[in-house]
Amino acid sequence: MTKQVQEAYIVAATRSPVGKAPRGMFKHVRPDDLLVHVLQSVLKQCDGMDPMAIDDVIVGCAMPEAEQGINVARVAVLLAGLPDSVPGVTINRFCASGLQAVAIAADQIRLGEADIIIAAGTESMSMIPMMGNKVSMNPRIFAGNENVAIAYGMGITAEKVAEKWKVSREAQDGFALQSHQRAISAIERGEFREEISPYTIDGNWPDLNLHQVHHVSVMKDTDEGPRADTSPEALARLRPVFAAQGSVTAGNSSQMSDGAGAVVVMSEAAMQRFNLTPLGRFIGYSVTGVPPEIMGIGPIKAIPKVLQQTGIKQDELDWIELNEAFAAQSLAVINELGLDLAKVNPLGGAIALGHPLGATGAIRVATLLNGLRRHKLRYGMVTMCVGSGMGAAGVFEAL
Amino acid sequence: MTTHPIRVRKAAVLGAGVMGAQIAAHLINANIETLLFELPADEKDTNANVIRAIEKLKKQEPAPLSIVSRAIYIEPANYDQHLERLGDCDLIIEAIAERLDLKSQLYERIAPHLHDQAILASNTSGLSISELAAAVPESLRARFCGVHFFNPPRYMHLVELIASEYSDATMLNTLETFLVTTLGKGVIRAKDTPNFIANRIGIFSMLATMHHARQFGLGFELVDKLTGSLIGRPKSATFRTADLVGLDILMHVIQTMQDNLADDPWHGFYTAPDWLSKLIKKGSLGQKTGKGVYQKQGKEIHVLDPDRETYRLAEQEVDGEVEVLLKQKDTVARFAALRKHSHPQAQFVWAIHRDLFHYCAVQLEFIANNARDLDLAVRWGFGWQQGPFEIWQSAGWNAVLDWINEDIAAGKAMAAVAMPAWVQTIGQQRPIQGVHAPEGSFSPATGEIQPRSSLPVYRRQLFPDRLIDEQPIYGETILETEELRLWHTGDEIAIVSFKTKKHTIDNAVLRGMEEAITTAENHFRALIIWQTEPPFSLGANLQKATERPKTEMPPSALDDFIRKIKKSAQATILKAAHSLDMADVLMAGKLAEVETMIAHFQQTSQHLRYCMVPTVAAVDGLALGGGCEFIMHCDRAVATLESYIGLVEAGVGLLPAGGGCKEFALRASQQAVESDPFMHLQHYFRTVAMAEMAKSAEQARALSYLSPSDVIVMNRFELLHVAKMQALALAEAGYRPPLRPREIVVAGATGIATFKSNLVNLLEGKFISEHDYLIGSKIAHVICGGDVVAGSCVDEEWLLGLERAAFIELLATEKTQARIAHTLKTGKPLRN
Repeated sequence: MTKQVQEAYIVAATRSPVGKAPRGMFKHVRPDDLLVHVLQSVLKQCDGMDPMAIDDVIVGCAMPEAEQGINVARVAVLLAGLPDSVPGVTINRFCASGLQAVAIAADQIRLGEADIIIAAGTESMSMIPMMGNKVSMNPRIFAGNENVAIAYGMGITAEKVAEKWKVSREAQDGFALQSHQRAISAIERGEFREEISPYTIDGNWPDLNLHQVHHVSVMKDTDEGPRADTSPEALARLRPVFAAQGSVTAGNSSQMSDGAGAVVVMSEAAMQRFNLTPLGRFIGYSVTGVPPEIMGIGPIKAIPKVLQQTGIKQDELDWIELNEAFAAQSLAVINELGLDLAKVNPLGGAIALGHPLGATGAIRVATLLNGLRRHKLRYGMVTMCVGSGMGAAGVFEAL
Repeated sequence: MTTHPIRVRKAAVLGAGVMGAQIAAHLINANIETLLFELPADEKDTNANVIRAIEKLKKQEPAPLSIVSRAIYIEPANYDQHLERLGDCDLIIEAIAERLDLKSQLYERIAPHLHDQAILASNTSGLSISELAAAVPESLRARFCGVHFFNPPRYMHLVELIASEYSDATMLNTLETFLVTTLGKGVIRAKDTPNFIANRIGIFSMLATMHHARQFGLGFELVDKLTGSLIGRPKSATFRTADLVGLDILMHVIQTMQDNLADDPWHGFYTAPDWLSKLIKKGSLGQKTGKGVYQKQGKEIHVLDPDRETYRLAEQEVDGEVEVLLKQKDTVARFAALRKHSHPQAQFVWAIHRDLFHYCAVQLEFIANNARDLDLAVRWGFGWQQGPFEIWQSAGWNAVLDWINEDIAAGKAMAAVAMPAWVQTIGQQRPIQGVHAPEGSFSPATGEIQPRSSLPVYRRQLFPDRLIDEQPIYGETILETEELRLWHTGDEIAIVSFKTKKHTIDNAVLRGMEEAITTAENHFRALIIWQTEPPFSLGANLQKATERPKTEMPPSALDDFIRKIKKSAQATILKAAHSLDMADVLMAGKLAEVETMIAHFQQTSQHLRYCMVPTVAAVDGLALGGGCEFIMHCDRAVATLESYIGLVEAGVGLLPAGGGCKEFALRASQQAVESDPFMHLQHYFRTVAMAEMAKSAEQARALSYLSPSDVIVMNRFELLHVAKMQALALAEAGYRPPLRPREIVVAGATGIATFKSNLVNLLEGKFISEHDYLIGSKIAHVICGGDVVAGSCVDEEWLLGLERAAFIELLATEKTQARIAHTLKTGKPLRN
């Protein structure tokens, strides 16, 4: 069935720390600058590679407009100082954009059409709001009842999942608490040190007292989202945001975030040519559609599909990066598929670490491959639900 | 060149306590740069004390700031680090703890930093201004005086201005002018006596009430029912007012009288009752501690039983017969009956008035310049509808005097001191017996009638707050109907004032408006809409659309609407006002007649807009629904800060159809130069769909009911003057109405769908009902120009047609009808 002619390997993977949006550490940092940073950083990990040999740069972005518009991939390639022979394309599958970028890169290589591709993702939710700067709905959405769910906010879909899969408020809050605890503990143990490329925020600020421009430079190397002070009581106090009698709160939903990630995908030939060693191997990727009003269950369909396609069994997976869009949908997925809780998001998930929409996929590939290697494990997965009703899942092997 | 008195470019308030912080907030409301000082904090941020006070201002109700976002303009400062910044300040208001020693020390400390024209004023409520002046360094003494604000300072009209013997007369006039025009206050010059005028009388009245309550064995809650709106005082009456003010503050004010008025005939009563001292000892200080005279237990209100020192359910009611008596409109008859009636409640009400009148008559010459000052001080400072002398005079001066004298002789009065002789003398005056006459009010010091102040600032008040029997003459009539009057004051500017209840707008008002506009176009240079008293207008009265007999809405319910406005965020209650008395129409199903009226309304709005002379709306108080739409169609609005403007139709299941939606669609199109009108419509949609009512003129501007060129006036008695100046300026500029817009770009079907996507999420989350969704969708439909291609061009008639159709569609729904009926019945919104 497969037309694969060669394997696709990931030889480098890194990410920026993730800031909180819209009032966090990166609120004044442009997403194209974050992207330039991760491109330059990931190339530093490929010592000796000729940048002229890069076939393409594929960048995932969920709201590709304004500061992350006009094909941010190509803009960043040029700003990063890459040769102008290196092309760039921006792709969008909402929350799966970053993972989709890796999959496209890998498949280009597996088909033999390319040897070196950088796959990345970037998103500033501080600068570009959810749904973009200008929201505009097709009137046909409301012409009948069958397509109204296109207009649903993600929160409403999470409420519907919580109701249908009977995920209680307590369970959601408990899951959220665990996410924070795991993330805090991971940071303390230095689990993210390898994957994060610290970002230095540079800016000129007006000093109104001295009437001078005041240059501020601050280095950031740690994710901003995880809270050591989260408690069951604090989470229980939060009010539902999306439904009057609902269970989904700001505390048990993913955080809005700013961040970027990048990985270098390569053929074996290219690795040999530049004398590089792989972090891991790309095994396969699947995506599938589900009803938009319960978009959060996407992974319930996507995970079995990719396992069947790759021939890997669920219990062979040592590590699953399941994007925590909401605790409600995460628990629905975990319970429905019987995933091993200990293997899902061992370093915390999006509820604590944040979810810069289009960047998340690339960021979590960096987390997964570094994590698998550090803990001497083999197979891992990155999976997520996707707005308007989709699921995506990619399988990797650490080397 | 005339030299102007000094300008207050910048002010400072010393002391960020309850009063200081709120005074600073009001200075900011008036666009005055203000520093707020407090003791340095023993923390990393030395301004932490002030910053906390500023944060508190943002949450306080009723709101001290006209709009919360203005809090950033109050500059925090502390005495250790920032005293040199006082050098820029032209006015320094001191509002620190009421201790002579502390105040003296502070004056010493700040004096070297003040510039040589700066005014220093103390907001003391109890200390002697002369004693304080002695503590002020000599170079500053002439520029020192007392300014006594009332809590809450934004809303209470009164400021007492107290001179010391050293105070410079020009400085006092300058300050009075500033307080009146810039801060919008009612200034009363008070003599330097303990507690000045309003608190002296107001607190005595409370003490007399407590005394007689005990004598007649009446429960506190019953006393509040008897001494509230039934006798023309605020609903909080006596004991709830005490709880609101704080029992410790009350105690402090009583103590001031106890300490400083040893020779006073009522001195024996200047002492707190036992129960009050005990409450304070227990830390039950009233509302701020959650417990005082009253205590809320679950949903029940409990009241103190002073004998048992426990709380009991508040359940005592006013006797039916006494209530009828108190509602008697004829004051002469009312007082005669009260005095005669044997019921203890009636006797109580008579007694508290008797002793109050007695007290005022004896004290007047010591505390105030004339009777007008005393009456206005009590009205403006305590919210009474009439001052003590006004009540006395309207009850029949001589008859009441005889009764008081009889009671004094019989030993019933609280003090045995004889009435001063002038009380008898003025009773012989012709034609009016009493202290207030058309040319002025009685002054015991001169023995003569004193006219109102001749300070130039008062020339701006064409119709100042009037006293009993003062019948203002509102210019020359141009035309007059049952419902409105068009008049002028001889200056080529026509003024139209409504005569309907709450200045609602019915078909007859609309006809009158059409005639007024045409008359103004033909014979005058401008047209002003101004009401002789607030509200500006509660909107359209659709009941009149069918010319059926009016079913009277219980007046108390409507009064409640207005009372609640400042306190409650539950603005939705008011939203029913627009559709007052509509129930009958609906039941009769006379939608066609309503549609005709709506069309008529729109036509009048348009006539205002395209009138050949400038039109100015002079707004004070509530301006809802149709009232708001009239404002939006005038060339300019001049609004007092306390204007509460809103398109609140959605609250009762309708939408603005007098041109309000049209106007927002038009403005969005005009703002959208080379962009999408939808971006601008979002703000307007939210305002209309949420039925937002602005709680100040400043907020009305933020909600776009007022435009940036509209003018905000701080003093409502200056409103008409400023409106005239604005009208004249527009006329003098060679006024032409705007050209009728040719191409109004609308957001169309895409805009509607995008608004619906907001609504559908609220619906799915059960934040709104199906009917709310329908109302929101209709509003979206109208302001987006209907189901047309986004970017289509329409004209005003198109939008007005959409307004009418959507209004009638909503009105025809059972749920909207149920909402209206429910709101009329209960005064509360219905969610269905």
